[in-house]
Amino acid sequence: MIRKFPVYVEKLPGGNLVATKVNDVFNLTRAKSLWYLLFGTACCAIELMATGASRYDFDRLGMIFRASPRQSDLMIVAGTITLKMAPVVKRLYDQMAEPRYVLAMGGCAIGGGPFYYDSYAVLKGIDKIIPVDVYVPGCPPRPESLLQGCLEVGRKIRTQKMEEWS
Amino acid sequence: MTKDELTGYIMQHFSGRLERIENDQPEPYFIVHCDDLTAFARFIHDDPKLLMNFLMNLSAVDTKERFEMVYNVCSYPLKHRLYVKTVLDRDHPEVDTVMGVWPAANWYEREAWELFGIAVRNHPDLTRFLLPDDWNEGHPLRKDWVGKDVVPFPER
Repeated sequence: MIRKFPVYVEKLPGGNLVATKVNDVFNLTRAKSLWYLLFGTACCAIELMATGASRYDFDRLGMIFRASPRQSDLMIVAGTITLKMAPVVKRLYDQMAEPRYVLAMGGCAIGGGPFYYDSYAVLKGIDKIIPVDVYVPGCPPRPESLLQGCLEVGRKIRTQKMEEWS
Repeated sequence: MTKDELTGYIMQHFSGRLERIENDQPEPYFIVHCDDLTAFARFIHDDPKLLMNFLMNLSAVDTKERFEMVYNVCSYPLKHRLYVKTVLDRDHPEVDTVMGVWPAANWYEREAWELFGIAVRNHPDLTRFLLPDDWNEGHPLRKDWVGKDVVPFPER
């Protein structure tokens, strides 16, 4: 229904303006209140917890952690994903409600990280199984980098049109 | 007991094939024959002067000619430690379980089976639990194992 909203509203006089402004308001509210799924596996999870703590706060950007994928709209994959954990990541991603975004934090989630060579059990990057929106490099990334990554997700959200929320 | 007292006591009182290795650490280091392993484990666990009731670590080693199983044991009441290893054949590595003495060896022996292929006799449940469920590509930590998706470290 939300995706068809612009189609119907544009038929009214002045409808284009209404559709654009409603789009902007929705995007603004979504970008300023990204609730993220606590998915920390390895060392990057410690940095994620540090970023969520009091010195570099996530809550001032409106980001609260949720334990369940059904209640979150951003999944921050922090840590090494092994071949045994990969189906779990895919299942959690499928359980998130659209519109959903994924942020790959740290070297291991981007492309295997320091375990790219000579490892029999590490998945070399989560973009082999789920679509990623923002990559935050580092091993582990500084909290300021992670905050910039989350703000980039916010910027990406604000450029989206209502018809393509997914 | 100090290192020398421990070494002397064990060499005197154990009747089996045992050999001592010289080392610089404060713990004595022995090699025991794989058939005498269970008897040795029972001896150091039950003897009132040794009382080694804590198996700290059990790991397997693959030197290219043979397999070795290394047991690090420690005693809580008497506060001394000991390292002992057994040497196994490279083609058919088999060892008896020490679960009768230290039940903690359960998962360590399962790990040795899964990653090295060392068959452990009389183990109640020797199944895969570390590698993914649909793993059928062999025993990864052997030196002669080659994997499909493994990217080798580039030589300079």
